[in-house]
Amino acid sequence: MRVRFVNLGAQFDSLRDPILGAIERISHEGAYVLGEEVERFEQSFAQYCGVEYALGVANGTDALVLPMKALGIGPGDEVITAANSFIATAGAIVQTGATPVFVDVADDFNIDVSLIEAAITSRTRAVIPVHLTGMPADMDTIRDVVEGRGVHMIEDAAQAVGAFFRGKPVGSFGTAAGFSLHPLKTLHVHGDGGVLTLRDEDLYRRLSQLRNHGLRNRDECDFWGFNSRLDAIQAAIANIKLGHIDTYTTRMREIAAYYTRSLEGIVNLPIQPPGCEGVFHNYIIRTERRDALQADLLERQIETKIHYPIPLHLQKAAASLGYERGDFPVAERQASQILSLPIYPELLDEQIEFVVDTIRTFFS
Amino acid sequence: MELQLALLADRGRARVTGSNFLVRQYEETSRLAINHNYLAEQFGDYEEIFRKIAVLVEQGDYTLGRAVDDFEARYAEIAGTRFALGVGSGTDALFLSLKALGVGPGDEVITTPYTFFATIGAIVTAGAKPVFVDVKDDYNIDPTRIADAITEMTKAIMPVHWSGHACDMDEIMAVADQHGVPVVEDACHGIKATYKGRPLGSFGATGCFSMHPLKNLNVWGDGGVIVTDDEALYTQLSLMRNHGLINRNECSLFGYNSRLDTIQAIVANHMLDRIDSITASRQKNSLYFDERLAAISQITVPDRDPEKQHVFHIYVVRVEQRDELQAFLIGSGVDAKIHYPIPMHLQPAAREFGYSKGDFPSAEAICASVISFPVHEFITQAQQDFVVDKINEFYG
Repeated sequence: MRVRFVNLGAQFDSLRDPILGAIERISHEGAYVLGEEVERFEQSFAQYCGVEYALGVANGTDALVLPMKALGIGPGDEVITAANSFIATAGAIVQTGATPVFVDVADDFNIDVSLIEAAITSRTRAVIPVHLTGMPADMDTIRDVVEGRGVHMIEDAAQAVGAFFRGKPVGSFGTAAGFSLHPLKTLHVHGDGGVLTLRDEDLYRRLSQLRNHGLRNRDECDFWGFNSRLDAIQAAIANIKLGHIDTYTTRMREIAAYYTRSLEGIVNLPIQPPGCEGVFHNYIIRTERRDALQADLLERQIETKIHYPIPLHLQKAAASLGYERGDFPVAERQASQILSLPIYPELLDEQIEFVVDTIRTFFS
Repeated sequence: MELQLALLADRGRARVTGSNFLVRQYEETSRLAINHNYLAEQFGDYEEIFRKIAVLVEQGDYTLGRAVDDFEARYAEIAGTRFALGVGSGTDALFLSLKALGVGPGDEVITTPYTFFATIGAIVTAGAKPVFVDVKDDYNIDPTRIADAITEMTKAIMPVHWSGHACDMDEIMAVADQHGVPVVEDACHGIKATYKGRPLGSFGATGCFSMHPLKNLNVWGDGGVIVTDDEALYTQLSLMRNHGLINRNECSLFGYNSRLDTIQAIVANHMLDRIDSITASRQKNSLYFDERLAAISQITVPDRDPEKQHVFHIYVVRVEQRDELQAFLIGSGVDAKIHYPIPMHLQPAAREFGYSKGDFPSAEAICASVISFPVHEFITQAQQDFVVDKINEFYG
């Protein structure tokens, strides 16, 4: 039985008519840039996240870059983030001209909140906790650390749509939060897309101009901006899928619960800290025999991935930042042990049973 | 969960979002019979393109991939360059080009004050300062004034082939070469346009194109493309548009996310089959306007240089009593537009650069007198005649 790591076609099949209908309707109207679908998505998404405002942008990377830019973060500033994220988190910081400052992670793969304080300097302008795999970082503690110090918290919620921290949706804690709608995300569109959430009206107005060339109206430009818009077609697809998001996240949690029940005592399982309701964008196990297990699974046509094999501070791109091996021992150790099992709403029960059986056999 | 679903059900209720003026703009202009927006007609026959998209969606291969590769190969051929690279938008094409050339804070980039905002936005986003040089009667940068604007901080020259009409590339390349400054061509309007037989975009270090829905070659959202002959630049740009990733796991430089969506590459490939006929019909319609409008004394039609193959992304002439004429035409159902009424150096955003009114008299006079009429492939001669009749009626 083949178990693919992703199967986007399966989700498309279930929504074929509404999605193709939406593309057809927008093509017929010719209103491809911003417009009604984008506004509708922004309103729905803001409500879903329990915030005042949401803004569709070109991708999840831009959803982090734009709020930093709007807050005036740039050259000479420092932005603190976790050492084990996808490359875009660090890329976004560098793109503003600021310097990324990495902090080691804890057993739950998220930034170790006890280490943030020591990383703050007079140049620190923001902390970007990453809700890695869709498991919320400790929002309360991070907020306590940054509050009153002129340091913003910007949530990297790229993987975390639908996750809750102490009963509140992620995206509702920081000055702003960036989400990705990339095809591999739980809520995804058919190309690149992103959305950011925020609560402050002035910041919202500034960002809505910043993503569209800084334009106040068709003819006047208040400040020089970017072109970073969520395509109307992609917004229409996001609107359709947002209507099913609870079904998707429920199924993801179900699969995660099954993995956890069945693999307990065999491998190290993802930790769900108290108060965190994760969405398991990835279900990551840890084992000393990672590479052998991955090869064995692949032999049985079970695809797995590693998120991510090289921590950010050890990437070639980070060479100029002056870090070295050993700086973030937890992130480095995890990088050699982690393995992501297939998890998406369309996985069949027999597929996840097969994954579990194969892993159990491997370790028996 | 119950609460969220209830909230979602409530989503029809609109909040006034203020700065999204495009919605209002669509509403206003869509009522006009003779319209700049032709997209509804253009995709009246989208069955085939739809079928291709459905195949892609089934495969779930949404990021870069085959359709983007095919598109890039075909585009390079059109531009007469070794390489083409699909990116997120025309703005990003300009911005990424500047970054790849090492332009950053403290640097200056020479360009024209008569352009779309994105030209300047790209320069400022790269960290540099735009330095404006006035334009000629053909709306494009005056090459004889460029040398005076070059300083030791000048890191690039960005000529804009406004409306798809070539700048004086021989003169621009000569002054650029003489000072050792690279040229980044803003050819966002200029697909298929040529200068002395050579495609625009192929002169500079890079050429940048937009495929925004209202461009001659358009996709169904934002999209752009960079062309270049320089392999090192191409390699650098390929990394930059995709997070600096060499492969899934290794990152050689902190980059950007600026990819041409695979779906949009499919649309672009489809449209490439039609670009020659789109271009020909825009040229035919424009020449017809030229002929008829030349007879009206209050209208100045630019000289058409036979060495420059103009593709008329926009059809722009200068007129007397511009604002009144525009209002009159809109009242008559003609979507007359102004591209654009305020030059870049007089924008609120430009205050920090310290320019003032009178600094670029030619650009200012142009902005005060230009008007654009639709010339897209779905405009009929009868509609053009109607526009001309209305103009005649206005001037009486």
